[in-house]
Amino acid sequence: MSQVRVTFFATDENNHPVAPLTKSDFAVIDSELVVRNFRNFTPADETSLDVVALVDLSESVALRLGVAMSAVLQLVAREQSMPDDNIAVLTFGGTFEGTIGGALGGMQPAILCANGCRAADAMNRLLAVKSGGTTPLFDALLFGAEFVSHHRRAGLRPVLILFSDGNDTISMHSAREALDAVLNEGALIYSVDMRTSGHQSSKQRAGSTFLRQVSDATGGRYFPLRFAPNDGAATVLNAALEDLRASYVVTYDLPSHQAGFHSLCLMPTHNLNLTFHSRNGYYYEPSVR
Amino acid sequence: MKSTLLLVLVLSSVSVAWAAPLGIYQHGTVVRMRMGDCMLMHRGFMNQFGPPQAAAAEESCPEYTLVADKVVFLIVGKSSNQLVPLAEVIDFRFQNKELAVRVDDARHESRFAIKEMTLRSEWELVQKHIEYQLNDSPRQPVDTSMTLRSRE
Repeated sequence: MSQVRVTFFATDENNHPVAPLTKSDFAVIDSELVVRNFRNFTPADETSLDVVALVDLSESVALRLGVAMSAVLQLVAREQSMPDDNIAVLTFGGTFEGTIGGALGGMQPAILCANGCRAADAMNRLLAVKSGGTTPLFDALLFGAEFVSHHRRAGLRPVLILFSDGNDTISMHSAREALDAVLNEGALIYSVDMRTSGHQSSKQRAGSTFLRQVSDATGGRYFPLRFAPNDGAATVLNAALEDLRASYVVTYDLPSHQAGFHSLCLMPTHNLNLTFHSRNGYYYEPSVR
Repeated sequence: MKSTLLLVLVLSSVSVAWAAPLGIYQHGTVVRMRMGDCMLMHRGFMNQFGPPQAAAAEESCPEYTLVADKVVFLIVGKSSNQLVPLAEVIDFRFQNKELAVRVDDARHESRFAIKEMTLRSEWELVQKHIEYQLNDSPRQPVDTSMTLRSRE
């Protein structure tokens, strides 16, 4: 019998992770069917984070790039405070003086540092970024997913911290393809919205909506950069770590053998103040004998 | 005005408080949930005959299949965030052509529109028929090993 395995955490009305949970605190809605009989329910076995910061350097975020890069530098500064953790920084759009692999930025997403981002040459690269150009956001998410795939380590939760305004302008791939790639790697997106404060155009709102949706769809979270300009990185990283510690894994028998995408969400059984965060679905493909 | 409001609040909480001990509540289990359109909730004159309202049309509301002893209800919330706790058994009662569902084991009820009502025996026949069709329809054999493509 095929089983579905879902990793999740819950937050309360103040958006704080909730622990401990019991299996009677929630039900799973799998392709509209309510599932309450679980095979297994345990705390998640991932012990730490594998962080990939994916930074939008395009012209549309130029005004906020300084704040975002400051947050990225804070993130890198914390690399050694997290045992076994790895922080990598990838960028898309914009220009900079040199990257690993020799790319010069712009249309193609690039790796600024894959580990050891605190090293002098890596810091120089981080400090040398300049904003400009178009926004291949969806392509960058695929690139990030591929990076996660190549750098996967057992027991670590892959987390993409996406600094962007959410407005793609030129990708070759679609939003759906980008999201599927991230979901397939089991990575969570924690998005930091770089849009400017004040009056929002419909395009800006659409970008924020996209960031919120991809974060929710992967079981991650959404943060507006304007709410925490001075400690943005710490806020996001702490949230990801707290979410990790409050995570559980539930398994249950596949409720429907229909091939294709199965939507997924967890709902409370008693306390309606609880919000559950998990990926929003999975693909089921019956194999042919 | 304030006293009227207070009186309404007191009466409503008293009615909920009395409903449980008096055994007014029926019991049921939610077996299905989906997000459907909210048009059932927006059947006022302006919504029927006024200009198109994209926002109302786009909003989605939770729709639950609630299986009770003799009847199966399809109930619809009035807004996207009107949720039913998905406990094994929930308490509900009829109230002014709507279904009032007891929420969070508290003296609080949430009212849902009834979209459909079916006798449970008929509903079960239909479910069996659907299940039979799904199982009997020509399809590729399923490998019973782990076949989920994704990691989770």
